[in-house]
Amino acid sequence: MNGVVVGSVYGLFALGFTLLFGVNHIMNMAHGSVFMWGAIAALMIVTQLDMPFGVALVVGALTGGVLSVLLDYVAFRPLRRRGAPEFSAIVSSIGANLILLALAQEYTQTKVFRFPFDTFPIRIFEIFGVRVQLLQLVIMGIVVLMVVGLFWYLFRTSYGRQVRAVAYSERTSKLLGINPTSINFQVFFLSGALAGIAGVLIGLAFNTVHFMMGEPFLMRAFVVIILGGLGSIPGALIAGLFIGIIQTLTISYVSAGVAEIVVFSLLFIILLVRPTGLFGTMSTAVRVSRT
Amino acid sequence: MIFLKSYAPLFEFALFNVLLAFSQYVVLRAGVFSLGTAAFAGFGAYAAAILSVSYGVDPIFGIVLATLGGAAFGALVAVPLARLRGVFQALATIALVQIFLSVALNWTTMTGGALGINGIPRAVHLTEMFIAVLVVGYVLIVMGKSSLGRSFDIIREDETVAVSLGISVTRHHRIAFVLSGAIGALAGAMHAYSSYSIVPTEYGFHLVTIVLAMVVLGGRVSVFGPILGAIVLTILPELLRGFQEYRAVLQGAVLMLSIIFLPHGIVDTMLGRLRSQQLSQKKVVRENRRTWREKERISA
Repeated sequence: MNGVVVGSVYGLFALGFTLLFGVNHIMNMAHGSVFMWGAIAALMIVTQLDMPFGVALVVGALTGGVLSVLLDYVAFRPLRRRGAPEFSAIVSSIGANLILLALAQEYTQTKVFRFPFDTFPIRIFEIFGVRVQLLQLVIMGIVVLMVVGLFWYLFRTSYGRQVRAVAYSERTSKLLGINPTSINFQVFFLSGALAGIAGVLIGLAFNTVHFMMGEPFLMRAFVVIILGGLGSIPGALIAGLFIGIIQTLTISYVSAGVAEIVVFSLLFIILLVRPTGLFGTMSTAVRVSRT
Repeated sequence: MIFLKSYAPLFEFALFNVLLAFSQYVVLRAGVFSLGTAAFAGFGAYAAAILSVSYGVDPIFGIVLATLGGAAFGALVAVPLARLRGVFQALATIALVQIFLSVALNWTTMTGGALGINGIPRAVHLTEMFIAVLVVGYVLIVMGKSSLGRSFDIIREDETVAVSLGISVTRHHRIAFVLSGAIGALAGAMHAYSSYSIVPTEYGFHLVTIVLAMVVLGGRVSVFGPILGAIVLTILPELLRGFQEYRAVLQGAVLMLSIIFLPHGIVDTMLGRLRSQQLSQKKVVRENRRTWREKERISA
């Protein structure tokens, strides 16, 4: 059960990552920091201003979104304008990640924070003999809501059609009168908002918020998106669940250290056997140009 | 001499960084986007430390064995990694670093877990470090001028052209991984023998970013690129001691600004400018000569 919850949040986090990759072909190495800042912002809202959980969630999402758009302007847009290879985008986002991390470390004074005890009522249900916390149900509910919303946005609105067009070919969509700048804005905001929400949820579920929380999730997200296929949205979700369950099972039956090794070896094996991932199509792999 | 002595630890660290940057540089020059240098360095450091502490091997043999082991390690991981490209290669090598870290943290009987290994004999001083950098630098310069270096350059610039010229991309990627592994492990071993103790967290994601920053800042084609990058990025934080907290901000900013405004790195940009200047000067000379000759013809 725990695995399902963690896995669904992995999926949510990786969703934003894979969205960016699918549309802009950017590996945003600073995604983990966006996630962490979302959690910190929500925490501050709860502890300093005494706001309820819902407000904190919205604030976390907004922080993530705004930060992500900012990243686009500072780190990616100059490179895109020059038509630089993807190598440059990775390097530049690693730099941005270092800056965001250091600022967070300075801001939090390297302390570990907790959400106050009464942020979320603790209630335990029993469903089919499995003990389930209300929080876990709510987390899964939010994840499902976000995913359905994202699908609706991408596949049922004209914006979504434009996003998909830009993902397919930026030049062609320009000829058709789509403004890629505005689409990039939306995609970056969405991806950041998803990361921010994931940050708040993880902060609540494990009840710790600190400046290093993003990195392990970023590493997991790599595994998730490779497993699901780069740029594939359903793939990211299913792979997220899968990784979450595998990890929880290994931790409870073997040990936490082995879980790390298992997860990353999985990445290796997949890259060897099926580099396009379980749900990736050939075209997503072909589109990855050489630097 | 006094200056050299009082700053010896700093110089040693700078030279260690130059070695690491060399290891990263070899792969980047060949167009391999590997971030595995940290894993190679960690491997070398652990190999050397375990050999010396547990088996009492002489440090010189320790360094040689670690370097050979690093080359073997590089060859081993190259089998799957040389088949991948671009982003996939980067991700796989990051995973390699993570796997190495988890193994070092959890295989307690061999690696001492999170505490690392202590009591390593100190055998490497400034002179030995310097010799290592000279040797590796010389090998890299010679390699760069040989057909191997030219093949690397072609593969980096355009893989299709390389294939059409009959250059095996996979084979050269493999060679780059072996070289990177050997140099990285050498750097790690040297570091282990100069710092008494090693801990696994030294060889994590942080090292990856720093080494990458050095090569990006310095340049990826000329051998002097990584040297300059490593020296600048080692000395800069020392000069900015007062802003201790913002050291990482500075590193991040250097990385971002250099890739945005100096995409080829300091050394390669400067060399390129110098070359184009020389070319244009030659052109001017040639043109002058031509007009002079023509004038002569007319007067005759």
